[in-house]
Amino acid sequence: MELELFSTAFLSALLTIILIDLVLAGDNALIIGLVARNLPKETQTKVIFWGTFGAIFIRAVMAILVVYILAVPGFMLAGGVALVWIARKLLTPEGNSETSSLVKAPAVTFGAAVRTIVIADAVMGVDNVLGIGGAAQGSILLIVLGLAVSVPIIVWGSQLVIKLVDRYPSVILLGGAVLAWTGYTMVVREPLLITWFEGHPAAKLVVAILIFSISLSPWYSERLSTELKPLVVLLPALLVWMLAFEVAGSLWKMQVDYLLATGPGEYLLEALRWVGWIPLAALFLWAREQFIARAARRATSPPLRLSR
Amino acid sequence: MLLIHRSQRAANAVRAVSAGGELFVASVVVCMILAAFGDAVDPTFLGEAGLEFALFDLGGEFSVLAMRHWHLLQLLVAGGVIAAGIAVLRVAAAAYFRSLHPGLARSVDKVPIKF
Repeated sequence: MELELFSTAFLSALLTIILIDLVLAGDNALIIGLVARNLPKETQTKVIFWGTFGAIFIRAVMAILVVYILAVPGFMLAGGVALVWIARKLLTPEGNSETSSLVKAPAVTFGAAVRTIVIADAVMGVDNVLGIGGAAQGSILLIVLGLAVSVPIIVWGSQLVIKLVDRYPSVILLGGAVLAWTGYTMVVREPLLITWFEGHPAAKLVVAILIFSISLSPWYSERLSTELKPLVVLLPALLVWMLAFEVAGSLWKMQVDYLLATGPGEYLLEALRWVGWIPLAALFLWAREQFIARAARRATSPPLRLSR
Repeated sequence: MLLIHRSQRAANAVRAVSAGGELFVASVVVCMILAAFGDAVDPTFLGEAGLEFALFDLGGEFSVLAMRHWHLLQLLVAGGVIAAGIAVLRVAAAAYFRSLHPGLARSVDKVPIKF
């Protein structure tokens, strides 16, 4: 699908791509530095050039591939779900930043250094490319523009990005929200589900709230009091429960709408849908309380002394 | 290994975010959910029930049903307007409720009233 140039849809997709590029940019400069730190000076210059070139090349190949992969039925849904996980991971507070296991050991040869840089960039760029592919809605021009934005970030823009997100951490929250929104649009655009969503329009709203409640949970769980923390699990679980009945109704041709129910079985099913989750939620809260109490007892009990 | 994790504030954005920034993003998220709601609701159903004009059609493009066609730029602008509105309301409400509290007995601007 080609978007009209400079239309609101086009500019919005471009803005989405820029935001995704900003918040999901990989730390290529650090990786190149770590990989090349033990190499001789003259080899280091070559490694920096070819490593950067290889990183850009692999990013371009992945961006082109993702457009074709997302056109395959089923992959749009998988990509949308993956974006939800990426958004959640983006918003989860980090203790200490870990160095990728790919670059813990410095390279000893030129070839090994370039290979490590390219593999590390490919691993780090998967989420970025997936987000761009989802936001571009199949437009090759937007993919190219996405690359045109991400390449300067890879090569020169790292300090600028760090300064921006350090000054305005809300950019990260906005990035998480935009990723969740992109994930939602990918899920509802999935060719295998379009007909189903047309028959179940309310499910779209449930899916939207489910996606936002999962991907933004690190954010709102920070603002919830201890008593309300279980909502982080209960709200998405309840939405999945409701959605499961809609899906089951379609798969097994059951009537899950109480206004249209005819037999006692259908009324029972409807009752299970609206009330059945309450014992499960109570069980979860009880198990959680038990777990917290046991952890507190273990923390306060004196350490065991081994007698000889 | 994301670039943003080089900044301690960005890596802990949910804790370091300013109140204004958080309000803006929360408003954008609300707009996104409203747009999904507009996408989920069948307009003909609302029209038949007579609810479209009663609840949603606040005038052309600002109706929730029209929000289904909104893109990110429009959602950002709407989120910004909502956030600004809430911020103004918060300031005005704070000023109003502050004026309802009696001043300290010995404060400079206290007007002495004797019967």
